[in-house]
Amino acid sequence: MDLMMIADLAAATVRISTPLLFAALGGLLSEKAGTFAVGIEGMMLAGAFTGAISAFVFGNVALGFALAALGGAATGSLLAFATARCRADQMVTGLAVNVLVLGLSSFLLRGLFGGRAPVIRLTPPGTWPLPWLSEIPVMGPVLFRQSAIVYLAFLLVVPLTLFLTKTRAGLTLRAVGENPEAAFAAGYDPIRIRMIAIVAGGALAGLGGAVLALQEVGSFTDGMTNGRGFIALAAIMVGRWTPVGAIAGCLIFGFVSALELRAQSWGLPVSSYVMQMMPYCLALALLAGVSRSARLPAAIGVPFIRH
Amino acid sequence: MTILSNIDTVNNEPPPRKVTFMKAASVLRRLLAGTATRATLAVALALLVTAVLILISGKNPLLAYAALLKGAFGSIDRIAFGFNKSTPYILAGLGVALCFRANVINIGAEGQIAVGGIGATAVALSGLALPGLLLMPLALLAGVVCGAAWSGLAAFVSLKRGVHEVLCTLLLNFVGVLLVSEMLHGKLGEPGAGFPQSPLLPRAIWLPKLVAGTDLHIGIVLAVIATVACHILFWRTTFGFRLRIMGASRDAARYVGISSIRQTMRVMLTAGGLAGLAGGVEVLGVHYRLIEGFSAGFGFNAVGVALLASLNPLAVLPAGLFIGFLEAGALAMQREVGVPSSLVFVIQGLTMVFVLCALGLRGERSKV
Repeated sequence: MDLMMIADLAAATVRISTPLLFAALGGLLSEKAGTFAVGIEGMMLAGAFTGAISAFVFGNVALGFALAALGGAATGSLLAFATARCRADQMVTGLAVNVLVLGLSSFLLRGLFGGRAPVIRLTPPGTWPLPWLSEIPVMGPVLFRQSAIVYLAFLLVVPLTLFLTKTRAGLTLRAVGENPEAAFAAGYDPIRIRMIAIVAGGALAGLGGAVLALQEVGSFTDGMTNGRGFIALAAIMVGRWTPVGAIAGCLIFGFVSALELRAQSWGLPVSSYVMQMMPYCLALALLAGVSRSARLPAAIGVPFIRH
Repeated sequence: MTILSNIDTVNNEPPPRKVTFMKAASVLRRLLAGTATRATLAVALALLVTAVLILISGKNPLLAYAALLKGAFGSIDRIAFGFNKSTPYILAGLGVALCFRANVINIGAEGQIAVGGIGATAVALSGLALPGLLLMPLALLAGVVCGAAWSGLAAFVSLKRGVHEVLCTLLLNFVGVLLVSEMLHGKLGEPGAGFPQSPLLPRAIWLPKLVAGTDLHIGIVLAVIATVACHILFWRTTFGFRLRIMGASRDAARYVGISSIRQTMRVMLTAGGLAGLAGGVEVLGVHYRLIEGFSAGFGFNAVGVALLASLNPLAVLPAGLFIGFLEAGALAMQREVGVPSSLVFVIQGLTMVFVLCALGLRGERSKV
């Protein structure tokens, strides 16, 4: 393995991690406020769909990203209404919403274009080489010649961490996830806050889906997220419910997926299916390793009932 | 979680009144209380929303639904197809219902079906010198064992390491499905076939037909038997009683000395076995070989069926038939009217969300 291969692997890792990271940060918001984020798979897919369709129809990638966030948020609001308002089971509702989005996107893709799914080819957004950093030999060009949205994903961690640890709104959000009764007694409305957290998380996950469709793949196909939302969910847990931890988690899973793609060209004596299993097996193994010591938001999964 | 704890609370007494509730709301709530009413209402609402979507796509929803009905029940062959489609959903849905009842959120039916299919195929193709009448049940049994092993693995990781069972079962779904592909590109694959599939199974071990001249195989009989067995298991045995207590309250279960670890393991193994049987039935009764992706979407349908049945084992049978015939009809609808069959996912997803909301809202009343 020479230097170029490592650089290539690093670039692929960053590229694959980006959509995961958006989804994981979105899911983190939702989980911190006390709602399991099983629905991020569906929110991602909704974002991928609205993002790709609007970029395809309007020919504008920026608009695609904006509408992708909207699509994710819309999915989130359905989930928020069902889980927070109607106290529907969070896990199973998330699952139901995932399938709903899968069906809806597949149906609309055909229904809106006269019965046949259009072939969507998108030009990925241009790269922004960072001054100086991109001049670093070998690693510079691969790591610091990315599109703006990639930097955004990784930079987002800073404001999100500050929000969750230093601002009143962020602390209230976490209080709702830990002890909604206490937050309620202090004058906050846990149901409303949980709903906002899910919808905001949905917007982020939608962006993640758009990154996948607009940048990584350059097209939309039915069910294209293919479990990435669940991997993001695992990344949140592996990262112990912190934004920085989520980066680590996403990079790990991104790296394994990158390995999976490269392993074929390196001619490793492992079948491609076994390689495809790797991210899921690794997720399970990592979760098995950290779960005992991880502390979930105390009131996660428990619906708030106003007495 | 909340779906389970308040499902079958007997409510003979009139619901306590709260002054703030409007009359209409209380009427609606009482309507939501019954399983059948709840399911019907949820399905009707879902069909209504879907009709709007069909309208948006420029088709006539009435024509589409007529084509769906005709596709589901239009001929003997269509009906046979619908029954065959329902069979794995009923089998796997039973297991999911039992798990959910015990507050174990097993959504791993898809992987368990996939691995069960592998087990059944491996035995069927093993070349054992046995008469078909013996090899067939043996192959199905292998499906059961493999399915149970897969769910047991999830339960083991979940119980031993404290990983939430939802994630364990979800992640193992992906692995199980990929395992089918791996086997079909390796030991079980048919050399030279253009499609990832196993060789055709010997005709002697195909599931016998229930009605000569149709595709209807005896799987549906197995599903009915399994339904009755699960009903008895759940309502008439100590195991079922323990599951019910566990579902109502883990703490209560612990106080009366019920080990929730042991019960979780048992109910997961039961569910995995049923799902594995569904996988075996698909292989031996429908495809006569293992094919890639044969279990796609089954796991979710099993969850949908269980919820539609309000986790009541006996109600799983009609719920499974509903979903099975809905899918069968939707495939015909796509052919006839050109409305994409992916609409079924929309109907199912919406139905589930509505049922879950109804259950959630009902939970409040039992706590008031």
